Amino acid sequence: MTVLSCSGLRRRFGDVLAVDDVSFTITEGETYGLLGPNGAGKTTTISMITGVLSPDAGEVLVAGEPMSIHAIAAKRLVGYVPQELALYPDLTGRENLRFFASLYGAPKSRVDHVLDVVGLADRAGDLAREYSGGMKRRLNVAIGLLHEPRLLVLDEPTAGVDPQSRNQIMDNVRALAADGMAILYTTHYMEEAERLCDRVGVIDSGRLIAEGTRRELVERLGERDRISLLLDGDVTHAAAVLGSIRNVHGVAAHGQGLELVVDDARETLPQVLSAISADGVVVRSAEVTEPNLETVFLHLTGKALRE
Amino acid sequence: MKILSIGWINVRRALRDRTGLFFLVALPLMLVFIIGAAFGGAGSPVLGVVGDAGALRAESAMQVRDFSDEAALRTAVEHGEASAGLVRVAGQAPRLLVRPDRTGQQLRMLVTTVLTSEANRLAAGEFVASHTGLDAATALSVVDSVPVEPVEVRTTTAGEALFPEDFSGFDLGAASQLIVFTFLNSLTAAAALVETRSFGVTRRMLATPTPARVIIAGEALGRVAIALLQGLIVVVGSALLFGVRWGDPLGAAALLCAFALVSGGAGLLLGAVCRTQQQTAGAGILLGLGLAAFGGCMVPIEFFSPALRTVAFATPHGWANDGFAALTRRGGDILTVAPHLSVLLGFAAALFALGAWRLQRAVTA
Ligand SMILES: Nc1ncnc2c1ncn2[C@@H]1O[C@H](COP(=O)(O)OP(=O)(O)O)[C@@H](O)[C@H]1O
Ligand SMILES: [Mg+2]
Repeated sequence: MTVLSCSGLRRRFGDVLAVDDVSFTITEGETYGLLGPNGAGKTTTISMITGVLSPDAGEVLVAGEPMSIHAIAAKRLVGYVPQELALYPDLTGRENLRFFASLYGAPKSRVDHVLDVVGLADRAGDLAREYSGGMKRRLNVAIGLLHEPRLLVLDEPTAGVDPQSRNQIMDNVRALAADGMAILYTTHYMEEAERLCDRVGVIDSGRLIAEGTRRELVERLGERDRISLLLDGDVTHAAAVLGSIRNVHGVAAHGQGLELVVDDARETLPQVLSAISADGVVVRSAEVTEPNLETVFLHLTGKALRE
Repeated sequence: MKILSIGWINVRRALRDRTGLFFLVALPLMLVFIIGAAFGGAGSPVLGVVGDAGALRAESAMQVRDFSDEAALRTAVEHGEASAGLVRVAGQAPRLLVRPDRTGQQLRMLVTTVLTSEANRLAAGEFVASHTGLDAATALSVVDSVPVEPVEVRTTTAGEALFPEDFSGFDLGAASQLIVFTFLNSLTAAAALVETRSFGVTRRMLATPTPARVIIAGEALGRVAIALLQGLIVVVGSALLFGVRWGDPLGAAALLCAFALVSGGAGLLLGAVCRTQQQTAGAGILLGLGLAAFGGCMVPIEFFSPALRTVAFATPHGWANDGFAALTRRGGDILTVAPHLSVLLGFAAALFALGAWRLQRAVTA
């Protein structure tokens, strides 16, 4: 079921067309990544989706409810984790959560629950200003979860955090999606989009220039996964054996090494390994290369994701 | 409910801020004390004594402090630690050092009176002893047993007096400090409103199912609550600590509330208009002190020229000031200050309307 659908979103700030005709949908349990460099229009798009900014044109529907600045019903369905740390540094973590719980009409019990979820239960009584960067980010996320939203919108939720907090946040997002929450995740970290998102929209200069799963995007560019093997034994024979596997589209040998072009490297690798060992050849090393979204972005825009 | 949550979070933050607390509680009460003491309201005056204080010690209108020698006594009087100093050495006439101020003169009269009645008592004792043949101690107890009712003299000031007879210096400072700080701190505390917006918390509130007008009303309530709290701290604190009288309770409460509304409205407007906290603090101090000066909170309005007096009544401070003067100095009640209340409520309504409009624009732009 479609949880978010936006169509024809447009917003101008003076001379800058920040968002230009952006349309996409997200279904239940799906994590959608909006990937683009700084200034691409991610935050502006998200502000219109969360009803804090009026679009010049276009429409946002959340589970069928039209979203606008005054749309109370639609806002009940959306959790918002803004790009900036939108919390009171001079209040404790728990006080921040209680305050927003009252604005969301969420029961008090949810406060302790989300503190557990983001791993801040033992620091809940400390002032937010005394938290580490990563803990502040986690509190920022926790506020968005208070009212069990159907759609969770996260705007660069991991900006400038330690690896531990980043992993915690990403684990949280995965678990929430597994529970059926629809998630909109913006980032300019290609690795995050790849690890987390079922589908990715590539945005640049306010326009959504490509959309799809990582595989779809990569294939549109004619890029393929590769497996590189280093073998002990009869390389020529192994090449012949592997060439007959369905997902393997090309085999090239150089010395004791084999270079395979395959459909889906992660799925194909076990088949490749078992075929070789059945043949009595020993694998000394195996390496998978998947063309990534960075490559995609470079192809589409001619510029790198992070300058 | 959400309005209360937003209002409460504002109060909570104001109370959590250490520096803010200093300006909210300590500074206004300190100023009430300092100004009160400067105007001679610092409790009973001190009389320094070298030698036997005798009956002076029992005098409730002053405090006696003993000194070991005349030099120390002189220094204390020169420094104002004592308002007068008495040197009483056996076989010599008593000598009195007096500060050249009103309290000094009061003490001079008091000391003279007490010493004279003490001398009278001894003389009467000697008289009784010589005529009856009783020993000196018994004769004195006979003298003491004669009941002498103190003569009660009722005093009234005639003509236009600035302050009533029992008006203490503390009473004078307190109303001004109440007005100055309630307004000033409400303006500087409005930096929190700017901060809330710059943190992105206001946008985040707007993303919750809370109408923009509720957010604005909540922030406005927070401003008023902080101003009211400030006013209560000065009123209750000064009454408990320094015995300041605020006049008719109903009238004082109404004036306090009306002026807190004005201050809250001004805070809301300033917080909505300013873009940075520094701007808010700067403008707040300038406006807060400027309006206070023109409103007669720094120099009593009675010293103003007629033109300046007109200016004073263009400020809410002038009206609040005059309202409190009507209650404390002229014995007025809530009906006396009804015009003051309506003008203040008018100021408040205008400030809230403007502030809400500007904040609405800032929030939903
Ligand atoms: N409030 C605003 N006023 C003027 N320009 C803005 C405003 N918000 C965003 N912009 C401009 O719109 C463009 C998109 O910004 P933004 O949506 O924040 O990008 P991103 O989140 O992808 O980094 C940028 O050029 C930015 O400068
Ligand atoms: Mg952004």
